[in-house]
Amino acid sequence: MLNFQKIRSSLFYFSVFLFFIGLPFILAFALGYKFNARTLRFSKTGLIYIKTQPDGAKIYLNGKLMPARSPASITELVPGVYKIALELAQHYPWRGEIDVEAGKASRFDKIILFPLRPDLAQLNQERFSSFRIDTEKRAVYYLDQENKVVYKSNLDGGNFEDIAGLPDKFAQITGWDISADKKKMFIFNNHQIGVIFFDTGSDHDYSDSPVLLDYSQEKIINVFWHSDSYHLIVLTNKYVQVVESRPRALPINLVKLNKEEAPAFYDAKEDALYFSDSQRSPNGSIYNNLYKLELNSDLYLLGILMTQPFHALNLKGKEGLGE
Amino acid sequence: MNKDVFLKRVLEIIPGGLSWGIIITLILLSILHPVTSAVIIITFDFYWIIRTVYLTTLLILAHHRLKRQRNEDWFASCLELPLDRGFKELCHLVIFPVYNEGLEVLRPSLNSLSASRYLKENFIVVMAFEERNIAARSTAGILEQEFGAKFGAYLSTFHPDGLKGESRTKGANATWAAKAAKKYIDSRGIAHEHVIVSCFDADTCVEPEYFGCLSYHFLTSDKPHQASYQPMPVYNNNIWQAPSFARLVEISSSFCQLIESMRLEKFVTFSSHSMSFKTLVEIDYWPVNMISDDSVIYWKGYLHYNGDYRVVPLYITVSMDVAYSSNIWRTMVVQYKQKRRWAWGVENFPFVVSGFIKNKNISLLNKLRRSFHLLESHVTWAVWAVILGGIGYLPVFFGGVFFNQSTIAYNLPKITGLLFQSTVLTSLIWIFLSWTILPPRPKGVSWLKNVVLVLEWAFVPVIILILGSSPAIDAQTRLMFAKYMEFNPTLKGNRVV
Repeated sequence: MLNFQKIRSSLFYFSVFLFFIGLPFILAFALGYKFNARTLRFSKTGLIYIKTQPDGAKIYLNGKLMPARSPASITELVPGVYKIALELAQHYPWRGEIDVEAGKASRFDKIILFPLRPDLAQLNQERFSSFRIDTEKRAVYYLDQENKVVYKSNLDGGNFEDIAGLPDKFAQITGWDISADKKKMFIFNNHQIGVIFFDTGSDHDYSDSPVLLDYSQEKIINVFWHSDSYHLIVLTNKYVQVVESRPRALPINLVKLNKEEAPAFYDAKEDALYFSDSQRSPNGSIYNNLYKLELNSDLYLLGILMTQPFHALNLKGKEGLGE
Repeated sequence: MNKDVFLKRVLEIIPGGLSWGIIITLILLSILHPVTSAVIIITFDFYWIIRTVYLTTLLILAHHRLKRQRNEDWFASCLELPLDRGFKELCHLVIFPVYNEGLEVLRPSLNSLSASRYLKENFIVVMAFEERNIAARSTAGILEQEFGAKFGAYLSTFHPDGLKGESRTKGANATWAAKAAKKYIDSRGIAHEHVIVSCFDADTCVEPEYFGCLSYHFLTSDKPHQASYQPMPVYNNNIWQAPSFARLVEISSSFCQLIESMRLEKFVTFSSHSMSFKTLVEIDYWPVNMISDDSVIYWKGYLHYNGDYRVVPLYITVSMDVAYSSNIWRTMVVQYKQKRRWAWGVENFPFVVSGFIKNKNISLLNKLRRSFHLLESHVTWAVWAVILGGIGYLPVFFGGVFFNQSTIAYNLPKITGLLFQSTVLTSLIWIFLSWTILPPRPKGVSWLKNVVLVLEWAFVPVIILILGSSPAIDAQTRLMFAKYMEFNPTLKGNRVV
């Protein structure tokens, strides 16, 4: 008959023994110490953690192939500089050097091994001069200035089709963009803006033919779509303007500019225009200011359109103008 | 504040103070000195791995004993004992303290008792009702009619409410019943030495061989009056109907009790148990103002016999109800309250240590050992899940760039992962063993339930987080602040509450 209490006692003392014998090794391992069986001493080491994308790369440490493949950690390394090479078939190798410090974990966890033959695909099926990517709708728009055609495809190049033609007399396009509703685009050069409609069946009373807005007295620097896909924010060499994308629309001058080519950024999510303009200080020196012009209310724009040109806009720190 | 009250309060504060001290210190260390904290956590993790493997091995051994002994013909073994052992004279006083359990709970308990393979004329059954329970008298009447003639004696007692010095506890009711039974026993001229008293929860169903097994161990034990006899509690009455969450908790409780049965130096009575009636009278019955009467009765015996008192494990099961309710949330609350009541066993610590201070006949070593075991078990209960499930991750969280570049920060999650893997391994053993103690699947329960019984073990981490340490912290904190708990009976649900 088994003597359970004896077995239990033996188990208990064995567990206690295991705990007290094992604990120093566990803690030493955790703290990065290596036990040298010859000298019976612990020495402090460091480790390297390697993670690659994709996994499975061979790891060479100072030219020596390690048994583990990435992701892997190489532990118990004596402090010092190590050369690391990572190799994966059909991928560019990765090489680097690392200074391993005692008690520290050096991480290489953001390594991407790029394929030797990149996964390259041609998307366009026709010639083009510039393109725009719409990640939201997963579409590519191509502009062929020479043949005056606009194409569209999906992000894989599929469904490649022409969606609009450009006006014949529109020369030297300097910029273009697609509206937020993806139904139209504008093109512009120094003295003209053209709005081209992709979809004739829109809700608005749009014309099928392009809308052309002439700026014979000013030079157009930049144009942006307002988020309503109807108004255009125009920066000329003289003004910041807003104009409707309809025939014979009159622009409203929101801000008079000192600088001829004011750099600008339009935040379409917030409908805010950031632009810089120069200003002269009392001592005569010229310096730049950065302005934010909020255009985020449809009512705001409507208000301007209804009251112009009688009211002047007041912009903080800058004089606003009516037309 | 007099000296005794001051001492009691100090002893009441110690367990909770230690538990909170450990938790707060580790949190602060994680913020201020993450390396030290990580070292402590890794030490605890390693300790826990070894402890889990050790306890699981004990569980396997205990389970082996249970499988071997539960099917033995104990009654026949008793009959084979020499006449001078006194088997024929041995009486069993069986007390069922009833709180507000109805016939649907009490009938199966009495049925199992009447189905015992034993001399029924040697049974004195006491159904101990609470007088404040309105239905008590009618329930008692029905049961008397049904079971009165099946045993040597059958008594119904009604414990008055609000007696001086008493709390509303099971122990108060059991003591009242035991005193009533004493009158009966004395009137019949039965020697107390020949009576074994079993105090069972109202839903306790005994196996047919239970009293044979108990009698055999009592009659063959060295100093039988200086021992309590502890069967293995299982929660099989309604285990097939109970929700996974509750079932897992109760199976784990059964396993913990099996493990404890292998650690005799720590083994303490729990829930339904038996002991010598002579001893019970000598130590003045169960405590009438403490919730953990089941374990306190052991300590009373231990103090009375100057440390020469033990618990004899009986490898035979008594089956009780899984505590659950109508939905998962209520079940969690029921389980939480039950575990908190068990954790309230921490009130034993001031009781025992005060007793040790007054008792000059127990060796100092024994006093220190038993006090340490008691304190360590409650403090470990209160902190283990917090450390493993929460604080273990704090050094990496709070450590900052400098710590996170260190080897120990890198190795901490790996060692914690090792702990998890060892837990999974031991869980597989627990799953297998849990199968073997299940009652046969009742008719009407789909075989798919067998699959559920395995898959449900995936909930163990969730259960650990909810019920691992929080009931113990709750109980210890209440004791620290002298917010004494009232007895809160578990809703028994072999008939869903």
